[in-house]
Amino acid sequence: MKTVFVNPERCVGCRQCEFACAVEHSLSRDPTQAVFEIPTPRPRIHVSPGRAYATSFPNKCRHCDPAPCEQVCPTGAISRDAEHGLVLADARRCITCAMCAMVCPFDVITFHELGDGIPVRVAAIKCDGCVERVDAGRPPACVEACKTDALVFGELNELIEAGRARDTTALLSAAAAATSAAPAMPASIAGWRAWGEAAVHLNEGVHHGHH
Amino acid sequence: MATTDNTRQLSINNDARAMIMRAREEGIETVWDRLAAQQPQCGYCALGVSCRNCAMGPCRVDPFGEGPQKGVCGADADIIVARNLGRTIAAGASAHSDHGRDILEVFAELAAGETTGYELRDETKLRNLAEEWGIDPEGKEPREIARELATSMMEEFGIVKGRLSFADRLPEQRTKLWNDLGITPRGIDRENVEMLHRTHMGVDNDYVNTLLHGLRTSLSDGWGGSMVATELSDVMFGTPMPVRSKVNLGALRPECVNIALHGHNPLLSDVIMQAAEDPELVALAHEYGAESINLVGLCCTGNELQMRKGLPMVGNHLMQELVLLTGALDAMVVDYQCIMPSVTDVAKCFHTVVISTADKAKFTGATHVSFDPHRGLEIGKQIVRMGVEAYDNRNPERVRIPEGTVEMMAGFSVEAILGALGGTPEPLVEAIKAGKIRGAVAIVGCNNPKVPQDFGHVTLAKRMIENDILVLVTGCSAVANGKAGLMLPEAAEMAGPGLREICQALGIPPVLHMGSCVDNTRILVLAAALARFLGVDISQLPLAGAAPEWYSEKAVSIGAYVVASGIETVLGVQPAIFGSPNVVKLLAEGLDDVVGAKFAVEPDPEKAALLIRRHIEAKRKGLGLSCLEPEEMTAQAA
Repeated sequence: MKTVFVNPERCVGCRQCEFACAVEHSLSRDPTQAVFEIPTPRPRIHVSPGRAYATSFPNKCRHCDPAPCEQVCPTGAISRDAEHGLVLADARRCITCAMCAMVCPFDVITFHELGDGIPVRVAAIKCDGCVERVDAGRPPACVEACKTDALVFGELNELIEAGRARDTTALLSAAAAATSAAPAMPASIAGWRAWGEAAVHLNEGVHHGHH
Repeated sequence: MATTDNTRQLSINNDARAMIMRAREEGIETVWDRLAAQQPQCGYCALGVSCRNCAMGPCRVDPFGEGPQKGVCGADADIIVARNLGRTIAAGASAHSDHGRDILEVFAELAAGETTGYELRDETKLRNLAEEWGIDPEGKEPREIARELATSMMEEFGIVKGRLSFADRLPEQRTKLWNDLGITPRGIDRENVEMLHRTHMGVDNDYVNTLLHGLRTSLSDGWGGSMVATELSDVMFGTPMPVRSKVNLGALRPECVNIALHGHNPLLSDVIMQAAEDPELVALAHEYGAESINLVGLCCTGNELQMRKGLPMVGNHLMQELVLLTGALDAMVVDYQCIMPSVTDVAKCFHTVVISTADKAKFTGATHVSFDPHRGLEIGKQIVRMGVEAYDNRNPERVRIPEGTVEMMAGFSVEAILGALGGTPEPLVEAIKAGKIRGAVAIVGCNNPKVPQDFGHVTLAKRMIENDILVLVTGCSAVANGKAGLMLPEAAEMAGPGLREICQALGIPPVLHMGSCVDNTRILVLAAALARFLGVDISQLPLAGAAPEWYSEKAVSIGAYVVASGIETVLGVQPAIFGSPNVVKLLAEGLDDVVGAKFAVEPDPEKAALLIRRHIEAKRKGLGLSCLEPEEMTAQAA
């Protein structure tokens, strides 16, 4: 089963996935026109800041199975597309009760005005896996926009295995050097994140009156 | 989350904390809310690896090494980071030098007798400058000297001379080094324009070459535009001499019309100070029930006036929204630089009028009064009148002024410092040789909401003076350390035994206010004078620079000219260069072999203090002076 996999340590917080997602779900699918559309196209992926500066996580629907949102939806607006392994929301059947959002473990279902093919109304919006793009042999819009591989698209187990290979190397070298088991970061990223981490310690230190 | 709900984490100052609390209670947005809303901020931009200099782009380089490594034109991370840093320096240097040009233009008009409200207040300095610039002042009227000096200075903004006269203040070793490297600035505007040219696609594609020009560009600011600003401001408004003043939001007076002067340029604010004494306007204030007209300073316009006239300060960069939140400010008069567009939004929540004055710096929501030096005093009076009339709209029930002010001293120009030393740097040099003063550090730069307000400035200054290192401050750092009580002669008690003895003998504070951010040139002049006195290069002196809370492009230019002048500099906030390990290596290591100084980045002021102390001891060792062992220092620090 193909899915969008997140490598959070690769996220640099540029939020280009959010922009590409909103454009993909616009009427025009053109970035220069999408920003002027009414209702405003909304992203289905949300890049949230971490605790320290320079850390972030691109949060989106994990297409759970069984999916809590699907289980609680009283109108059957949320259904599973077995072929693609996706959980899809049908705005025409949505009654905006927000039960799905309440039970979502990732808080990724939001409610906004929708206009694509239906009279404009507020309904649940969530990741649809860019099913049309995938059928056409293209990666989801968020993955295409991500240049750091924080978002990658592929067979779930293969991606997990690739990650495991990286981590195992890191773990072995960590055992020898007694250093962190986290995968090694390029100098550029390490330096950038070190400042963010130091700054957050500084902020918390002031709270405790260290000055 | 890096940003926080707890106001205690945002600032070390109680006056700031109280007003941040009020903003939250009343739902008024401030800089900290906007920083939180911006998180996460784009990593490409923070790393400096995004380029939007042309329409084949915008491009970005994947810092993890797997995605794109070159922009469409072929620029790699090194070139993109160098282009961006070069343009940042050019923007900062342009801001300072344009400020200098504005002062010079009014100086020239004053010389031509076309202004009102301006005088040549320091004729001695005018004559000294004239001689320095090869103009014979003998038997000439001050205005005639000023005319010749103005023309000569204007030539250095262009390409008439191809050199900067102020660079003659350098020790010969530094002059030779700049010439050998090809970084001696040729003209004030030229280097900025050339940087924009070089960073256009397909011009300078060698990052080392671009960065060397970055140093030259910054030097055209430090030894050019900014120095013109400082020196001519002294001639027109008076060379600062030690003066007592006070600081805090408590400088606002509920019984008075309160007018804040905010920005960087003293041209207009000086005439406003004259206008506020106009009997007609004072009478108008009385008519509205106010006791008098109370002028207060914000940011560097405030510093300029505090240095020369002891004007009370209400705060530095991060106080500009908070001063409005007192509900007691009737008018905020702004010129330019570092004035947040948000001040007009916050002002709308109160009765405060925001008055913009520079045609190059207009604000939606402000009332614009165009500054014209020909009618300086008249415009000053018009602005003060607007403030007095706004007082009539003040709602006393909404006034909340945090109590109390802190006394501080300002006015330590180079002339004032040398005056305190008896006219020669010798006593200072002797104190350094004897180890009573181990060295000096310039703590400068801004506030940045990413780090707690004033924490870096004050913590670093305390550690320095405790360890007998004299501290020189400008800009936001001066306000921070004034609020912390470090800028009074009595603060010598907080210094180590050697520095304490010297400060008490001279009656000076251990932290000396040297002015606004263009006045960092005073620090350059002092450093050059010390080096020449000793017959060494500036880079051999036990000196360091620090910008613990910097945010602006101007600060990048300052950091670059300080390092290129030979003074090692520690930054508290990361510049957008980490996407290129080569550029980082050059600035943090390689530069030491090139200009005898380098950059370091250290957000923790305790660690920065240790870095600076080690550096100063190493420089002492180089000069054959007594030096402390690093172990001993670690123990002291702990």
